[in-house]
Amino acid sequence: MNVLKKRVLLAMTLMVVPFLAVAQAEITGLKVIENVYKRPVGDDMLGDLTMTLTNSRGEDRVRKIKQFTKDLGAIEKKIMFFQYPADVRNTSFMTWGYDEAGRDDDQWIYLPALKKVKRISSDSKSNYFMGSDFTYDDLGDRHPTDDVHKLLREETIAGNPCYVVESIPKDEEYMYSRTLTWIMKDTWIGLKKEFYDEDGDLLKILTVKKYEKFSGLWIILQSQMVNTQKKHTTNMELKNVKINSGIATNKFTVRMMKRGIR
Amino acid sequence: MKKTILFLATALFLLEGGASKVWAQSTNFTGYLRNYTGILLKDDNDFAIMQDTFDLRIEHSRGKVGFKANPYIYFNHNGETEIDIRQSYMDIYLDTVDIRFGKQQIVWGKADGVSITDVISPKDMREFLLPDFEEIRLGIQALKIDYYLGDNTLELVWVPVFTPTTMPDADSIWYRQPDFPITPTFDYSKKDVTSDLKSGEIFVKFSAITSGIDFEIMAGSMWDDDPTLHVQKTFNSTTGQLSSITVTPEHHMLKLGGGSFSTTVGGSVIRGETAYYEGKYFKSDDPAVTDGVMEKNVMHYLLGLDFTILDVKMSLQLIEQQIQDYDEQILDDENVDTVTFLINKDFLRETLRLEMFSYFDLNNDGSLVRPKISYDLIDGFNIIVGLNIFNGTEGKFGQYDDNDMVYSKVKYSF
Repeated sequence: MNVLKKRVLLAMTLMVVPFLAVAQAEITGLKVIENVYKRPVGDDMLGDLTMTLTNSRGEDRVRKIKQFTKDLGAIEKKIMFFQYPADVRNTSFMTWGYDEAGRDDDQWIYLPALKKVKRISSDSKSNYFMGSDFTYDDLGDRHPTDDVHKLLREETIAGNPCYVVESIPKDEEYMYSRTLTWIMKDTWIGLKKEFYDEDGDLLKILTVKKYEKFSGLWIILQSQMVNTQKKHTTNMELKNVKINSGIATNKFTVRMMKRGIR
Repeated sequence: MKKTILFLATALFLLEGGASKVWAQSTNFTGYLRNYTGILLKDDNDFAIMQDTFDLRIEHSRGKVGFKANPYIYFNHNGETEIDIRQSYMDIYLDTVDIRFGKQQIVWGKADGVSITDVISPKDMREFLLPDFEEIRLGIQALKIDYYLGDNTLELVWVPVFTPTTMPDADSIWYRQPDFPITPTFDYSKKDVTSDLKSGEIFVKFSAITSGIDFEIMAGSMWDDDPTLHVQKTFNSTTGQLSSITVTPEHHMLKLGGGSFSTTVGGSVIRGETAYYEGKYFKSDDPAVTDGVMEKNVMHYLLGLDFTILDVKMSLQLIEQQIQDYDEQILDDENVDTVTFLINKDFLRETLRLEMFSYFDLNNDGSLVRPKISYDLIDGFNIIVGLNIFNGTEGKFGQYDDNDMVYSKVKYSF
């Protein structure tokens, strides 16, 4: 390489580096979490969810749910039909979640023994879902403005370059004092998440085990939540996934909650 | 006995796949086996109940149609076996209309454990208010049409054949003899309601769910599930003393209108329900009134609050029944006030639940307190141990002060 070429290359490098530095500087913790929040997951989705709960003695309990989700713009509607175990069969649960920051979800439950749909409070987000290691809030899309986010570093997990973001809730009464999330740079999937309790001790670790592209969209198919304090694990698996299959809006109604899966 | 054997044989045949494979593949068989044992806490510790239950639900659907049948058997420790069908109905699902006809349980309203607008399915009161929700409610022959418009529903129910409340037998610990100064003679000639087209009951309801509030508005024309006791007294013409009493039970037609709502405020759910009944009858001391009863209208309403404190779920309901245009000669109180309170908490990942549901009769200082522990040994195998404690001396709950009970229920769901 002659001297001229070297000088040209050096000049070009010097010109590009500041732009790269600016681009790098623009990535903030909030921006990363917003990208995760806004990651397209399709207009609608249905699938069969299986949760396997394993206690410290290695004993398993299984829960099976059929779930339907539809994004209607400012509202996301979700309906779940409980299929197993037998004593909760035909119970259904419907949620209307809102993009509007600070607005609580509307939730209803249909209990076949009572034969009526009951409105329930969404205040129970810190409760564990069907005895699993996932709280209702863990399963939902937490709004980015609910926490203060800080980009801590970059790491590689299983060959995937990730941003590591610390999120501290603005609400001091929230069940976690902070979370750490490893977010893949290319897919905006949170590959790993650590949850810390009110005392700042590690409580749970969420790990995404399997994700696949459906109709051009990344969907998480298998994840595992381990409660490190109670030695309890929940494996969650999504099967028979269909994206953008055109689920009718009238699927998300009291009528369907009562009627069940047809 | 033959019916029992036939029932079991049919159930086993279906469960073993004796039916055609194609049919069985699209048919769901669920249900439970349960042992229910109750022991009275008074001196002799008699068994109030010792019962084994086999409850089977068969559901099948094919496109726009489906059916459900729910036969059951109670094997009682006294040798009596009860076999019946709780529900058996067919469904037709159209684009915006669902039609259900057959024997069915219909539940309306937002109240828990209290019937205000929830008046279509009568109750089985053979064990007072103690049975599980599905067992205390009687299935009725009805045609139900639901018309859906978005999240709004217009529901029409026609009940062609009247079903009254099932009352306890005279030898039951839950039976209470009506109070008369001398032994009455009963005339049952008017007890039954004629089964014809014009004697049917009809109900209509509009309900909606929205992002802020759910509500229902309803109206109905129905028979009172409980008969009015018309009393004719005869006096000795010489002495002027009461010589005989003839009691004629008779069901009367009621008209009612009402509504209910539920909404969330903060982390709580507020519920309300009200109904106005036209044409209720009440016992009266006024010698001038015919048959010892007066016809009055009644307002019945409830306000409830569901809330959570420190992961303990609670539900409080305040209920009042108010007789309109009250007459001092009426034996019932003008206002009957009741409070219910539910408290429960789950432990061990929802396998263990502590719960207590209580009714408080404010007019008579009576109550029914029902604490229980429920444990899932494994999924679908549940054990409940509980108490039914009656307090007071009179009124709805106090009258059963001798019936305090400890009970267990062991249930295997499949």
